[in-house]
Amino acid sequence: MTIVKPVNRLRPLLTVVGVGLALLPAARAHHSQSEFDLRSKLEVEGIVTKLEWKSPHARLYVDVKNDKGEVVNWNFELPSPNTLMRRGWKRDALQPGDRVKVGASPARNFPAIGIATSVHDGDDKALFTGTTPIYEPETAND
Amino acid sequence: MSVVSRSAKAPEYRFDNVRLLRAALAAFVLVVGPALASAQWLDYRTPGVPRVAGGAPDLKAPAPRTADGKPDFSGMWFANVPAKDYCKEAECIQEERMAREQINLGIKLDGGLPYTEWSKEQMVARRANGGREDPHTYCKPPNFPRAWTLPQYIKIVQTPSLMVLLHEFNAAYREVFLDGRPLLEDPNPTWNGYSTAHWDGDTLVIETNGIRDDMWLDIQGSPVTESARVTERLTRVSFGLMQIEIAVNDPKAYTRPWSVTIEMAVQVDTTMLEEICLDDEQDVRLYR
Repeated sequence: MTIVKPVNRLRPLLTVVGVGLALLPAARAHHSQSEFDLRSKLEVEGIVTKLEWKSPHARLYVDVKNDKGEVVNWNFELPSPNTLMRRGWKRDALQPGDRVKVGASPARNFPAIGIATSVHDGDDKALFTGTTPIYEPETAND
Repeated sequence: MSVVSRSAKAPEYRFDNVRLLRAALAAFVLVVGPALASAQWLDYRTPGVPRVAGGAPDLKAPAPRTADGKPDFSGMWFANVPAKDYCKEAECIQEERMAREQINLGIKLDGGLPYTEWSKEQMVARRANGGREDPHTYCKPPNFPRAWTLPQYIKIVQTPSLMVLLHEFNAAYREVFLDGRPLLEDPNPTWNGYSTAHWDGDTLVIETNGIRDDMWLDIQGSPVTESARVTERLTRVSFGLMQIEIAVNDPKAYTRPWSVTIEMAVQVDTTMLEEICLDDEQDVRLYR
């Protein structure tokens, strides 16, 4: 059964993040990631429709059924292909039809887009995680 | 001039299971020989690397030298930050490796970077805006000195009269002339400016001017401007480690000259992998 549910448990790192400062996550990315709500976590299960193997971010597209039973195609941002290759991934690491469970933080202003923080296969084996944890600039000079 | 020094400790070579597997695969390929072509050069053994028993790179070996006796900086480099196993804390595989200076180049500097009133306003506004004005977000080129801290590999190709720096991000390049030419007096500003270098003992001193007026030094948007003179002092402490003192004299953006020291770790038995940002950039639209 496919689910979309919020995950209350935040990564331990998130809990130490101070309040009131602009979030500038350490981006293994070409951007600051502030377009994502990194404090919010969701988990979905679904069927891979495509692994887009392009820079600056590989993307995993997954068909997910929502609470109304409608299928929504999610777009999950992954690290760049060169980073993934250095972790042992290949462009055919996931195939259309593969069942996956994806942990992610959602885009702030767009539905069905997220930045992936974990990917598990149908046997619940961890395939990928590792977008960057939130990283507070310690020497905010103001 | 305030200098932040970090330890000169050589990076540790993480001989984890993946490495072992890769080493085994590499050995297999070497044994089987040219009849078996590798699918990629990710694990191709770099020639000329000092090694310890067992084949791992000897990162504490002395820095190599060129035929004319100068330190040789040639090779692939990445910020000297360890790859941490993040899975102990969360359901993930590996924490990202990245230089803390990527966020704030002055992160280790007492009191931070000495912003002028104008540049502090710039930085604070850019940071509050979540980086949505960052040139890097829009796939603009990796400008030095910021480029040292970005999370891609840099390859240095050194000849007696020219050093070339290749950057994975956008497959970019930078030239550093070692032929004794003077800095330009009225340079046409560019992303990387114009660089000429000389030797101070075993340290290569790169002087740069002609940087554009609207460049960023880090994710939080510390400015560097056309008035800047940047001096990078490169020292290859050992085979595995390079220290770079980055000194910035930019009276428009900073109230006094300042410098920070960053460290780069050599990367061997692998290859450069291009990251062409404009290929599939999809994040800018999300800032709306």
